[in-house]
Amino acid sequence: MTTLLSTHGLQAEYGDMRALHGIDFAVEPGETVALIGANGAGKSTLLSAIMGLLPVAVEMVKLDGKPVGGSLPHRMVQSGVAIVPEGRRLFAGMTVEENLQVASEHAAAPRGTAWTKERVYDLFPILREKARTPVENLSGGQQQMVSIGRGLLAQPRVLLCDEISLGLAPRVVREIYDVLPQVTAQGTALVLVEQDVGLAQRASQRLYCLLEGRVTLEGKSSDISRDDISAAYFGASHALD
Amino acid sequence: MHWIEGIVQGVLLGGLYAQYALGMALMFGVMKIVNVTHGDLVILLALIGISLADFTGIGPWGVLTTLVPVGAAIGWLLQRAVLNRVVGNDPLPSLIATFGLSIALQNAMLVVWSADTRSLSGGGLQQASIEIGPLFVGVLPVIVLICATVLTGGLDAVLRFTRYGRSLRAASADVEAAAMVGVNPKAVYAAATAIAVGILGFAATFQAMRSTVAPADGPFQLIYAFEAVIIGGLGSVWGAFTGAMILGISQAIGFRINPGFGILAGHIVFLAVLAIRPQGIFQRKS
Amino acid sequence: MSYRVERMTLSGRVAILAGALALGAIVSMPWWASQGLIRDVITLACFIAVAQMWNMLAGYGGLVSVGQQAFVGVAAYAMFVMAQSWGINPFIAVGLSLIAPALLAVPIYLLLHRLEGPYFAIGTWVVAEALRLVATNMPMVNGGAGMSLRVMTQFSAHERAIAGSFLAALLLLVTVGGSYLLLRSRYGLALTAMRDNPVAARSQGVDVQRLRFLIFVAAAIGTGFAGAVYFMVQLRITPPSAFDMNWANLAIFIVMVGGIGSIEGVLIGAVIYFFADRWFGEYGASYLIVLGLLTLMTALFFREGLWGLWRRTFDAPWFPTRRTLIQVERDVP
Ligand SMILES: Nc1ncnc2c1ncn2[C@@H]1O[C@H](COP(=O)(O)OP(=O)(O)OP(=O)(O)O)[C@@H](O)[C@H]1O
Ligand SMILES: [Mg+2]
Repeated sequence: MTTLLSTHGLQAEYGDMRALHGIDFAVEPGETVALIGANGAGKSTLLSAIMGLLPVAVEMVKLDGKPVGGSLPHRMVQSGVAIVPEGRRLFAGMTVEENLQVASEHAAAPRGTAWTKERVYDLFPILREKARTPVENLSGGQQQMVSIGRGLLAQPRVLLCDEISLGLAPRVVREIYDVLPQVTAQGTALVLVEQDVGLAQRASQRLYCLLEGRVTLEGKSSDISRDDISAAYFGASHALD
Repeated sequence: MHWIEGIVQGVLLGGLYAQYALGMALMFGVMKIVNVTHGDLVILLALIGISLADFTGIGPWGVLTTLVPVGAAIGWLLQRAVLNRVVGNDPLPSLIATFGLSIALQNAMLVVWSADTRSLSGGGLQQASIEIGPLFVGVLPVIVLICATVLTGGLDAVLRFTRYGRSLRAASADVEAAAMVGVNPKAVYAAATAIAVGILGFAATFQAMRSTVAPADGPFQLIYAFEAVIIGGLGSVWGAFTGAMILGISQAIGFRINPGFGILAGHIVFLAVLAIRPQGIFQRKS
Repeated sequence: MSYRVERMTLSGRVAILAGALALGAIVSMPWWASQGLIRDVITLACFIAVAQMWNMLAGYGGLVSVGQQAFVGVAAYAMFVMAQSWGINPFIAVGLSLIAPALLAVPIYLLLHRLEGPYFAIGTWVVAEALRLVATNMPMVNGGAGMSLRVMTQFSAHERAIAGSFLAALLLLVTVGGSYLLLRSRYGLALTAMRDNPVAARSQGVDVQRLRFLIFVAAAIGTGFAGAVYFMVQLRITPPSAFDMNWANLAIFIVMVGGIGSIEGVLIGAVIYFFADRWFGEYGASYLIVLGLLTLMTALFFREGLWGLWRRTFDAPWFPTRRTLIQVERDVP
């Protein structure tokens, strides 16, 4: 089995400030990988760099083993990488249905059963009721559902999810996380950026922890202990306490 | 009577301004830039049309069907060569770039066509008029108004109901997010500018038929388009259309008060709207 | 360890000395220069002043205006009315006329600041156009026929040269020297922060709105000053010449080609523009095509302008506004 998506010594900068210092990261088809780390660790930056939203060298990101670093975002979508961005980033002024439609109209060629608007509505039935509502009139949880739906309708082989539980009631978080197995069931890989470490650990097979732009921990989610995580999360100095 | 006539004249004039304003509203809506050459492109297309009619003898409708695709091609080229390099959060580069281009374009037209005013013969269309109740109205202005209405309705429908329209609205809401769902922003931009300048093909033909054009006229057309867009409120094509009507009526009524006051009346209404309702007539406060 | 903050540099001291000498030379022109040279220097001073005011607006305030001719025209007309119609001494009228652009700038800013960046620019243009039309329709300023400054005939050519030269030097001192002092003052840091990143500046407690308003009014006064001096020397004014779009053209060309956000750039750009206009102006349209394309190219390919290119190679500012930390004592181990 070839690795679906990987990064190799990935470096990324905002102006003069380097935010990622050589990240090695990989996802296999159908796998769920969690990405944890403190605020400002570089999780979102890693997803942006993979998506082509930040300039990176071509060899640093590979898809199916082929170098794709620095490709434009819409090209990444067409090659099967989609993102549910931090802060949802819905298209204001457009309805739920239109938001979903933009994504499905620019999607990658589907492999296996294609995601359709109907299937998204089946995952999140409330969206069917709200189809004609402008997205700015939805609740936070409903907006997050639209954002996930948009990501799915891009027909991704790997979906990058940036803090999809942020600011949502526990019930809504559970509702959203409960549908994720249906996504991976058809071979789509998931990368979950998550603040809630317990949730991340339970929902994933493997886990990476970032600290100040470096990977400080990597392994099977079920094998990693709490202590390992807190050492990796806060840095070695804290682990000594 | 006098005033009704003024309003009718104003609405008809507004039809022409609407054709200037649509493209500007579209480009600002999606790219947040103002193309300073907007008015110069009207003049450029009009001069091309007049020369074409002179050399080939094609009538005004032939000129129109040529100028629209020529305009679209110019728009596409403008986007690829200039505007794509200057879109961004900082308004300065796009303004300066198109400002410089505007000066170059005006003077290039001066070299090619000289400062003479020219016009396009409409084969008697300019003189034709119809009687509506107690009023005589020119046939040409009525055609211009109908064209403007159809263009506005058509553009609105494209934005609402087509794949391209959705991608354009998505890009204007959040260009990065649009790219993240697979929209290619540069292609959307290039098409928007092509449509905007293509519509100027209509404006150019009608402007050249109903009055005269000269190389230095562009800035005035730019200002009228701009005023219409602001009066109507940013971001809606029907807003731009209505703004154009209000501008046309203000100018026509001002002109009736005193011929020297016509254009100024338009400016004053624009400034008044800015003072009283800066979001424009049709935009809700955000 | 102790430090002191150093802003003056050697190149800066040399430049100040050169500037003082230049101003002295300008003031003394009537006693050594020809009428033609005096006229040229006054014109150049007006270009520098208008461009530097635009530089403050666009380069620091983030306010891109293409309607600065509004203030040129309004001040010049105010000066003509005061001197010619009301009989005020023309040289005093130049000073008094600055009230007009100052008063006008307030409502203009209040109206236009609501428009987003590029729309602000076109808005200033509309205002300038509206003022041109008002002047064309206003009997008080003789409408479209314009006015002549016949009262100037009461002075000898030498007297006029003295006044013109003095005003040109004062104009440079106020606009260029004033900008320099402002940028070195405690406002300077705020202005530079605002230039580099208005959002961050706001979060650092810079009152961006107020600062922008003050810059807009100050730039209106400086631009008006140039207009009053320019048309005092011209002796004649008409609405199209007073509210000429070319004032915006030249300011933009000078600042962009010279290098936006620096005083040095304005001086370089103004000299280039002045001589280009002198040598190639006779080619009319073709010259303007080149000028327009140069402006376009600058915006596309080298936004930092000539001064920016120079600064990449040599770090020797003529108008140092940066603060440098100098270590005056070594650490004692
Ligand atoms: N647009 C930006 N410009 C400049 N620096 C940025 C930008 N976005 C992020 N950074 C910086 O890059 C570093 C990594 O940020 P990033 O957003 O990737 O963190 P994160 O792990 O996603 O944090 P959070 O959990 O808060 O979302 C931080 O130091 C941040 O300040
Ligand atoms: Mg983040």
